[in-house]
Amino acid sequence: MWRKPFTVMFGGPAGYGIMSAGTMIAKAGGRNGLWAFVVNEYPSLIKGGLNTCTVSFDDKPVKAHEERLDFLGALSQEALDQNYEKLGHEAAILYDSDTVEPNLARIPAGVKLYPVKLLGSLAGEAAKVMANSAMVGAFCALAAFPLEIIASIMKSEFKKESVLQQNLSLLQQAFDQTKQQFVEHKAFPLAFQCDGKKKMLLNGNDAIAMAAIKAGVKFAAGYPMTPGSSVLTYLADHGAEYGLVFKQAEDEIAAVNMLIGAGFAGVRAIGSTSGGGFALMTEALGFAALGEVPLVIVEAQRGGPSTGLPTRTAQADLNFVAYASQGEFPRIIVAPGDIEECFVETFRLFNLVEKYQVPGIILTDKYLADSTVTHLYFDDQNLRIERGKLVDEAWLSEHQPYRRYAITPDGVSSRAIPGQKGGRHIVTSYTHGEDGFYSSGNREYAEKEPQVTAAGIDKLFNKVPAMLQDIPAVKLHGPQEAELTVIAWGSSKGAVLEAISAVNQEGRSVNFLQILYPSPFPAEAVQTVLQSSKKTLVVEGNKTAQLAMMIRAHTGFAADAIYLKYDSRAFVPSLLITKIKEVLG
Amino acid sequence: MEDLKLQYVPTWCLGCGNFGILNALKKAFSLLDVQPEQLALVTGIGCSSKISQYVNTYRIETLHGRSLPVATGVKLANHQLTVIAEGGDGDGMGLGIGHFIHTARRNLDITYIIHNNQIYGLTKGQASPTSDLGAITKFTPPPQGNVEQPINIVQMALQAGATWVGRSTAADPQLADYMVQAVKHKGFAVLDILQPCVSFNHVNTYKWYQDRVYRLETVPDYDAGDYAKAAAVASQWGEKIPIGVIYRTERRIFEDSLPQLANRPLVEQPLDNISISLLMDELA
Repeated sequence: MWRKPFTVMFGGPAGYGIMSAGTMIAKAGGRNGLWAFVVNEYPSLIKGGLNTCTVSFDDKPVKAHEERLDFLGALSQEALDQNYEKLGHEAAILYDSDTVEPNLARIPAGVKLYPVKLLGSLAGEAAKVMANSAMVGAFCALAAFPLEIIASIMKSEFKKESVLQQNLSLLQQAFDQTKQQFVEHKAFPLAFQCDGKKKMLLNGNDAIAMAAIKAGVKFAAGYPMTPGSSVLTYLADHGAEYGLVFKQAEDEIAAVNMLIGAGFAGVRAIGSTSGGGFALMTEALGFAALGEVPLVIVEAQRGGPSTGLPTRTAQADLNFVAYASQGEFPRIIVAPGDIEECFVETFRLFNLVEKYQVPGIILTDKYLADSTVTHLYFDDQNLRIERGKLVDEAWLSEHQPYRRYAITPDGVSSRAIPGQKGGRHIVTSYTHGEDGFYSSGNREYAEKEPQVTAAGIDKLFNKVPAMLQDIPAVKLHGPQEAELTVIAWGSSKGAVLEAISAVNQEGRSVNFLQILYPSPFPAEAVQTVLQSSKKTLVVEGNKTAQLAMMIRAHTGFAADAIYLKYDSRAFVPSLLITKIKEVLG
Repeated sequence: MEDLKLQYVPTWCLGCGNFGILNALKKAFSLLDVQPEQLALVTGIGCSSKISQYVNTYRIETLHGRSLPVATGVKLANHQLTVIAEGGDGDGMGLGIGHFIHTARRNLDITYIIHNNQIYGLTKGQASPTSDLGAITKFTPPPQGNVEQPINIVQMALQAGATWVGRSTAADPQLADYMVQAVKHKGFAVLDILQPCVSFNHVNTYKWYQDRVYRLETVPDYDAGDYAKAAAVASQWGEKIPIGVIYRTERRIFEDSLPQLANRPLVEQPLDNISISLLMDELA
């Protein structure tokens, strides 16, 4: 039977180390045979407010979190007040006995309360910074989570000896005190063991940044914007060892134009932002497309419109990125669904954008970008960098006169880069002929302008058939034939997979069509699956059913049911299970 | 010089200042003794930015206002290239003003040549950020004309941290020499070129400039290394307009702050067998 993972939430004001407490138990679990999925929720502020860190544990990889808590640790009144509804039937509530007052009327039957002095165990600022260690100590005592594996994580995380010692002693002290005060709430439901597997704890942005490094990216540029920034932070921290330069730009317009400059000069380049920053990049996106300069931009969606919800999730920018910028041109959009796809598809995208000389967009969201997950080491043995029609001087010497935009059957022309003899050319944002010259301004071109214009646009779109052959645009999960096909894209993948597995274990038959590359739209592949579908349900994190409309536009196919969620939080399996059962009837 | 020629005939108006600047640029390139393959010319959009269509180096004609960030990307990707950004006053001081200030404070080893005719030419005669007070244009009609304080490019460059600042005119026989000096300067060099627009600016003509410019090299005691003197001179506009090298100084270039560039340009970094094992270990 499908069962929910064991879920722990820590909550408290920003600045109290809530996320590091969650990370610590997740890492400890991951190193000892468990798998974790960690969701951080935090408002856009620096101190105060309510930060929560929800860690879901299982003895197999966890694909999505569930909002049903088995354990709640509250360092503030809000942490308790905002989470009564999420408490499971036999949950434990650990809370700071000095500052938190439970409302007994709101505590579900079977839930037990554990008041422990957490904040008052130290004086002043230190209390805040280190109260998380006390909370974790008390958690270990109540949940029968092995204290020694937390201690071992602390030893590897804290670099400063005095800080380590303080935290270790606080951890132990809270553990001992809680043990004295209470009997254990319940035995921890999962077995700790050494499984010998090499596992990481990382989020989607880490995976993208690591793949970019692996793919030979040597230049990154961007401007801070949650939740896209941490790709750039990662590259700023680790790039130099790999000969990569990260440049913080004055704005996203500058950032994307720097990427174009680097791409023109022959260097693989990446930028990362969210919807607002991408909005500023849109004019240059078209320039990259018309100039046929490869580059990759990460667009980590957050709530919108406008400034919207900087730290919350959404899937409402699909249409925006698919159609952004004036005029018409193909672009490759990948919407990874999990950590593995963040890594594998980012690597693939860098090969694709150079092969087809088009802009590439990695469309993620806060949930995927920011949630950390236990994941096996990436298998990067067979990843090969392929640079398409990037030519060298020997090739150029045999192919004179060189024309940067020579018309070819596949739409892709040989690409020379500055510095090479025999490759001098102009890259331009104007509509141009095969030699890059402006089809309107130059009198030599004027009389054939309509032909040159149409040929130039055809050239861009002639790349699409081969692209579609090359791109693993869709994935069908679950049984080949099913009573119901769920269609989704992006970070809801994990919740959908959990949900269909649960429903199928009850004897139903549901499969899942994942649209991994929504652009260029894989009409044929989608049609093939939908032809044999009996019933369909589209699941999206937006208000206007953007993917469902895209499917309809490209295939004429209308979904039987659509499930939309646009409340700034991710889909969870239990909600999807209910919906799927409702549609199944 | 012959090698820099292309078959296309410039589409500029007869008498346009851009012709003088194009000739000077070609002359400067030949004086510089740089292989044309090693030159990257990055322009914006506008009449002046079309210069990239008429000189045979590596060129990228970018979006309106965006030449400097593209030039930054080119330079960081391959810092062995000689990178020149070029465009008009509208392109650079309108949309591009933010990039101009930030590129100056970064002090990349890039030369920025501005064709300054105080008008939007290609869109047929609107006010530019450098249009004089009172200038009558399509978008600033009489009686008041332009009411906004014009940007003084050399003053702005100085303020923002450019390490070489000069001014010349499209008809100046020494223009190519100033270009050469600007390119040879290690750091962000800004050359403001006063240029008539024969079609849309009937005030700031060849004669208007000729009557007002004076060359700093002829001023006794003028020291381009003295910031205070440079600032005073840079602020002059109107009856007397200084041309020549206004300011030059040494400051560490941005590229030199990057150990990644110490041994080879980014574009020459090896791409085989990049191992991310340590990155994975770090997250274990």
